[in-house]
Amino acid sequence: MVSIIPNVKEKTRKQYTGVSRGTRIMKNLTLILPVMVLTLMVICAIFANLSWLGLPQYGLAPHDPNKTAPRDKFLPPAFIEGGKSDYLLGTDKLGRDILSRVIHGARVSLSVSLLAIFITAGVGTMLGIFSGYVGGRVDGFLMRIVDVALSFPGLLLAMLLAVAVGPGFWTVVFALSVLGWAFYARLVRGESLRIRQSDFVAQARVNGASPFRIMLRHIFPNVVNSLIVLMTLQVGMMILSEAALSYIGIGITAPQASWGSMVSDGRAELDRAWWISTFPGVAIGLVVMSGNFLGDWIRDKLDPRLRQV
Amino acid sequence: MTRFIIIRILQAFVALIGITIIVFFLVRASGDPMQLLANPNMTEEQYNAIKTRLGLDKSWGEQLLIYFNDVLHGDLGESLVRQKPITTMIKESLPNTLKLTVPSFIISMLIAFFLGITAATYRDTFWDQGVKFLAVLGQALPGFWVAIMAVLIFSVNLGWLPVAGMATPAHYILPVATMVFFMLPGMMRLVRSSMLDVLDTEYIKLARIKGLPERIVIWKHALRNAMITPLTTIGMLIPGLVLGAVITETIFNWPGMGVMIVQGTFQRDFPLVQAITMLTAVLVLSINILVDIAYAWVDPSIRYQRS
Repeated sequence: MVSIIPNVKEKTRKQYTGVSRGTRIMKNLTLILPVMVLTLMVICAIFANLSWLGLPQYGLAPHDPNKTAPRDKFLPPAFIEGGKSDYLLGTDKLGRDILSRVIHGARVSLSVSLLAIFITAGVGTMLGIFSGYVGGRVDGFLMRIVDVALSFPGLLLAMLLAVAVGPGFWTVVFALSVLGWAFYARLVRGESLRIRQSDFVAQARVNGASPFRIMLRHIFPNVVNSLIVLMTLQVGMMILSEAALSYIGIGITAPQASWGSMVSDGRAELDRAWWISTFPGVAIGLVVMSGNFLGDWIRDKLDPRLRQV
Repeated sequence: MTRFIIIRILQAFVALIGITIIVFFLVRASGDPMQLLANPNMTEEQYNAIKTRLGLDKSWGEQLLIYFNDVLHGDLGESLVRQKPITTMIKESLPNTLKLTVPSFIISMLIAFFLGITAATYRDTFWDQGVKFLAVLGQALPGFWVAIMAVLIFSVNLGWLPVAGMATPAHYILPVATMVFFMLPGMMRLVRSSMLDVLDTEYIKLARIKGLPERIVIWKHALRNAMITPLTTIGMLIPGLVLGAVITETIFNWPGMGVMIVQGTFQRDFPLVQAITMLTAVLVLSINILVDIAYAWVDPSIRYQRS
């Protein structure tokens, strides 16, 4: 008897999923590599030295990032003629070890961007849920503020803050947060507006739930996915912004190591020491790219509707 | 429509007053600006003379009212450090900034539309992958670093292009390229996704069924509609434009507004930073109004719904 059931075994995976093997490997690589880079960055940030255990002399960084060594200044990376194996990525004009400073820079970048992301996400989510749920004039008013916040250059506010209170860690965090909440508010407001119409919200209202309870227990859990996606996608943006502020000189200031200010230090020495600017920039690029890829992946898993964000 | 425009302008005006007040108090939040100006060798009289000249002896409320009055008369105050009217300083540096930003903006727009549309039309081909790759790079690499690497390669190592300044046309190449790098990826992604949406609509399918040449379908029917979404988000390009201009001018020592405000920040020249922030606020609000009007003009449902 001839079977009318098609021979399943002979169908390749491609025919079922429409994805070729090459694409699948690429997809996996665009997840594995970013996760590795970001893990490495977190490890660097935490274990750059063990100052939080009271042991600043131990850690991943081979040298103290701020220790100057006048005799070892402008040393090229170890893999180039003239470099010392002690200084793997070379030294700057004060003889500080570039590798150690890059490792310590991870700490600054990570803490600034995580803080700013949690602040902006918190504020933006609250305002967004409220705006979408209440609707009407309040919503219209809040959304106009969001429009302005999204098109106002954060750089100018950062400069204003730098003039008023001086540059520094908290100035950067505040400058990044003061406008950043608007992204979350707009996204969450849209979701909240949609969820408000759903049956379970109507039912909660019939049951006598207060507006606060509805927003917290019924709307919030339904925006969490979009929220996580946006937060991940923002990691890269925050790191880039911090680097840009520090590059201009209104962010993290000397002697603390920050990737942006390191690139800026190397600008004047380009003709004799290209490595000072190059390596911190590579670090920024790798981390931001990893953040963006991871964000894309999480988005495709959790909330593919957000492709446009 | 008139009603809609008037409401928009009134709203913007209220927003501007709000921003002025916030900026005014933010700048003074750190304490007395006189602390920055005073030096130990000053006599009591000199100190008081400066204080009176700058109007710092009056109460905050009075200062705010005087400031509003001056701004309405086109007087943005005087730079603390250079002791020049800020309007004069802007007149000197603004043309240089425009010489940098306008060509860069036009070039980025042209490239963004061309590449974005090509990528959308030939979706999932080599072209599309290339454009996506460019966008990924452009959104991950810091612009200031790319510019410095370009200086390293083209100016320091190859010696083809000048390092800084704005004397000859060759001086424009690297700064304009840097600005384009700042603006292009975002624009390109927008055009691509907007074009993909349009290509998926019924009227494009109809145009194809009618037998119109593909060239006309894409560049006439689809392009016109694909331009709407990018135009409405043009306001969101301003932050990137300002950041790009400031960084590019700093790297290439370009004597424009960006360098001026960075110096002003370092010298804690608060009237200067305040004036430029205010001007930017006006620019941002006007662009938002224009975009709203353009959008309402294109799409009548917005007009009735929002007013």
